[in-house]
Amino acid sequence: MARTISRAIAVLAALAIVLGACTGTTSGGPSSSAATGAKAAYGGSVTFAMNSDISNMDPMLSGLFVDRHLMYAMYDSLVRVTPKGEIIPWLSALPTVSGDGKSYTFKLRTDVKYHDGTTLDAESVKWNLDRYRLTKESLRLGELAPVDSVTVVDPSTVRVDLKTASAPFLSVLVDRSGMMLSRKTVEAGGADFTRKAFNAGSGPFILTEAVKDDHYAFKKNPDWWGKAANGDKLPYLDQVIIKPITDGDVRLTNVRTGQVQATNAVTGKDVPTVKGDNTLVYQEIAGVGYNSLVPNRAPSFIFNEKRYIQAVDLAMDRAELLAKGPAQGVGVVAYGPYAPSHFAYDPGFKPFEKPDVAAAKKLVADVGKGPLKFELLVSSGDAATLQFAQLLKAQLEKADITMDIKTLLFNEIVTLQQQHKHPGMTLIGWSGRIDPDGNTYDFNYTGRPNNDSAYSNKEVDSLLDQTRTATDAAKRKDLFLKAQQIFVVDDPSRVFYSFNAAQLLTAKAIQGFSVFPDQLPRFETVWVQK
Amino acid sequence: MTTYILRRLLLMIPVALLVTIGIFVIIRIAPGDPVRTYAGENPDEATIAAVRTQLGLDQPLPIQYAAWLSRAVQGDLGRSFQTKQRVVEAIAERLPVTFELGAAALLISVTVALVVGVISAVKRNSVIDLVTTSVTLAGVSFPNFYLGLLLILLFAYVVPGHLLPPGGWTPFATDPGDNLRRLILPAITIATASLAVNLRQVRSSLLDVFGQDYVRTARAKGLRERAVVVRHALKNALIPVVTIIGIQVGAIIEGAIITETIFFIPGIGRLAVQAIPSQDYPIVQGVVLVSALSFMLSTLAVDILYAFLDPRISFGGVEA
Amino acid sequence: MSGATLPVVLPARSEGRTHAIRYFLRKNPRMLVGVVLLAILLFVALFAPLIAPYDPIKVVVTDALEPPSIDHLLGTDDLGRDVFSRVLWGSRVSLSVGLISVTIGFLVGVTIGLLAGYLGGTFDLLAMRVIDALLAFPALVLAIAITAALGPQIQNAMIAIGVVAVPGYARLTRGQVLAVRSREYIAAARTVGVPPLRIVLRHIFPNIANSLVVQATLATAFAILAEAALSFLGLGPQPPYPSWGQDINYSQRYLANMKWWMSAGPGIAIFIAVFTFNFLGDALRDALDPRLRRSG
Repeated sequence: MARTISRAIAVLAALAIVLGACTGTTSGGPSSSAATGAKAAYGGSVTFAMNSDISNMDPMLSGLFVDRHLMYAMYDSLVRVTPKGEIIPWLSALPTVSGDGKSYTFKLRTDVKYHDGTTLDAESVKWNLDRYRLTKESLRLGELAPVDSVTVVDPSTVRVDLKTASAPFLSVLVDRSGMMLSRKTVEAGGADFTRKAFNAGSGPFILTEAVKDDHYAFKKNPDWWGKAANGDKLPYLDQVIIKPITDGDVRLTNVRTGQVQATNAVTGKDVPTVKGDNTLVYQEIAGVGYNSLVPNRAPSFIFNEKRYIQAVDLAMDRAELLAKGPAQGVGVVAYGPYAPSHFAYDPGFKPFEKPDVAAAKKLVADVGKGPLKFELLVSSGDAATLQFAQLLKAQLEKADITMDIKTLLFNEIVTLQQQHKHPGMTLIGWSGRIDPDGNTYDFNYTGRPNNDSAYSNKEVDSLLDQTRTATDAAKRKDLFLKAQQIFVVDDPSRVFYSFNAAQLLTAKAIQGFSVFPDQLPRFETVWVQK
Repeated sequence: MTTYILRRLLLMIPVALLVTIGIFVIIRIAPGDPVRTYAGENPDEATIAAVRTQLGLDQPLPIQYAAWLSRAVQGDLGRSFQTKQRVVEAIAERLPVTFELGAAALLISVTVALVVGVISAVKRNSVIDLVTTSVTLAGVSFPNFYLGLLLILLFAYVVPGHLLPPGGWTPFATDPGDNLRRLILPAITIATASLAVNLRQVRSSLLDVFGQDYVRTARAKGLRERAVVVRHALKNALIPVVTIIGIQVGAIIEGAIITETIFFIPGIGRLAVQAIPSQDYPIVQGVVLVSALSFMLSTLAVDILYAFLDPRISFGGVEA
Repeated sequence: MSGATLPVVLPARSEGRTHAIRYFLRKNPRMLVGVVLLAILLFVALFAPLIAPYDPIKVVVTDALEPPSIDHLLGTDDLGRDVFSRVLWGSRVSLSVGLISVTIGFLVGVTIGLLAGYLGGTFDLLAMRVIDALLAFPALVLAIAITAALGPQIQNAMIAIGVVAVPGYARLTRGQVLAVRSREYIAAARTVGVPPLRIVLRHIFPNIANSLVVQATLATAFAILAEAALSFLGLGPQPPYPSWGQDINYSQRYLANMKWWMSAGPGIAIFIAVFTFNFLGDALRDALDPRLRRSG
């Protein structure tokens, strides 16, 4: 699930949009951004640890962030993006878009075969997109909702017609909604396909073994189409093994003892340790996911009163939460949903930079109903989340705000907030999307599925509608910032407090492994120094 | 004897029904709605309703149970909500792992218990007795998840050379050596928790036998103490030990739940621990049914074994 | 159980009881150790607010993660709270979970056992199938499922652990009742028309009390461990109030950073508490089990 209730480690790991294994060229295909100068060596094996097990290998049914660790090794998507958010060609060239913004034409590569030997062509692309958008249980229905029809123009050309112009449409095709699978293998797999997706993809690695809760093994796809910037045929590695290790300490111990050579989830408290370990290389960049408190704004709930939310905004000390909380300084302080890597980011937007206890007290007093007291629901059992909640509780106490911590099971919190029945606030991380729309629309637009705070503001709705039809980036940025001023400051929908960091920890011998804002590993450019 | 076994097997049916009804109801009382967590990232109410129907959760509880039961008796336990894997297959994959782990733990625990138990009983109330019983009692008193964590760290950071890996699993068929290396720490963790119980049983049943006339006679005849212990006392004292081993099947499943989680071993305990909070009903129901059946069958096996070992026991009446 | 006279019959007159206790303590030094440990535990739990040097929930971020020192005997945690004070306060939660869950299990289990054993017939048959079912459940799975169903709060953990303990008491009690009820004085009491409830409470219960005391003591040890295990799996009590199980779960992630003191405090405390009850239970069993006395 890309939506997590701040199980802090998971949230740190959770960044949801795909950024290509590419450094911003528009020529398409992968290229190693780690230009070490050394000649890359072929062969070898890398074992990678992720922070929990996958649920599903079928992009149509996958609802967990972790699932995508495997998908990037075994599947290709129509397009991908660079770390900067530029969409680049992958299986297809960049589409040509009609003047009204409603028709996209994709010209496909002609040298791509699935691992089962069938050819990736226009028919196959149409079958995949139709499967994602027309199957009743598909979890891609929302992302592909703007699509009206998919047409095969010729064996290497596909046209997608939209119901209305949609600025963020292309950005969904970089991930699961744009991943291409072999029809033959999917249909042969039937109900077991979700766990045994052998030979279904066309990606740089071929899944050979899948042992739930233990490991997933991949071998090199010798016929992959991708080439490195220097002309090397990719991938370099003979084998990739991905292991789920949920416990942060066990994960780190595995890396430090050499059982595992790479991971993308390092707990904040361990970052100084790994930085000081000269057998390891630690990389960290800013992500696109944010962490927030979600008040219930529905009538009859305490946070229907917006001044109470503003009081919490004013009373909390975001810098201390980031530095002294579980993140231990890993990440960036947030005030709204747009991270530094978003085009809509405004570095000057710092509405609650320093805690202002007096102002918070005044707002509560203005409401005139006595001291503010509310419940924060947190997922039970996760120590880092509890540390965060207890630190926040201590901060709010300084402004005479009483926040009771209530631990519940994850599922119960999800249920309560989807039905807008949580009494006070919940802690939620959003894994983030590279297009600001993916961090905004469904969370703040009246009645949308991820609008867990039951927020409704007509002006925000109107501004967000305009961001979808506007095609000019500057115009869209202006609209996003206008909306942000409202749903963060004037009439808050949430309390934003930090952006995630994307991490990558590797053993020294591992080369060509780049960190992307979405946290997902790309193995095609990785090689092992002999 | 056959009648007895048949009656016991028949009695298992109502118990198994009670167990499955029990777990069926308990997991559905939990307040979260599993459909909402399995319906993806942006589920609208229509998607949620579709997924609910697909999972069969829109039916009244008795109908859901009847449907599950009628498939279960045909060997079909449904599919996991989360992974869509067939539950039978998920359990079949993991049962051998837990079984191997449990057998290793039992071996360690019983061996140590026998050796120490005999010493402790022969030298009753001596310093050795006090020390050994206290040390094993300390073992059972130590939270086993904490012990597991300490063992992992001990071999990761203190003992040089990474002798034993910090977790994970390799099947015996793949690499026997690696399998055994990965087995040692978790098996010790589980064994520690049951050691004191086994030791206590060995010790007290030996003491009991020491009090019996034939042992006194043997002693009076001037047989050497070792001969008395080995030839007469130990043989008879083993009977209750068999019982305790039967009871350990339950304890091993308990131990496996925590230990598999810490050592990150793909066994049946870890399957259950993950499935309950995430409300993966078919998995929970399957695991509970299978572990309840194995518990009952092993208890029966022990009782039968017991009868062979001790002919004085008859199976005339309903068990007390 | 043999027909030998039990060494202690609880409803005996008080001077006899004191004598018997003194006799045990002298005869059985292990019991003495157990009683002393228990007294210390109870003292700490009762007077934690007076002994604890700091407020156990006071967050002082500037003092975070300090190793043990004169100021902080067991160091501080990642929010700068005094671990020693939290350990002292935590004894209240762990002991009350132990005692309350055991009481729940005891009351329900013994009642079922007494009734099943005394009434026999259909009630016995039905009750025992339910008990068999409870016994066939993997205990921790049942406890997790119950806690998950009722919500991860401390009182629900108590109920869950109590339910798990029910079959032990019920089977023990029923077995003992079956053994005792055929004795002559019970039959005599019946013939003279003593009401069944009175027979159970006055004549049967005292005879099985010894075994139940042993069982309850050992069950307390199990309950404290089970609470810790539930907390470890994320089904523990509500923060920020200290509990040993919760605190180990909270701090164990710092073990790999060699900040051992955060979890060592509650870890050792659980160990001492569980050890005390196990030790006491063992000593009691030795003292009260007539077979062992005879062979001693």
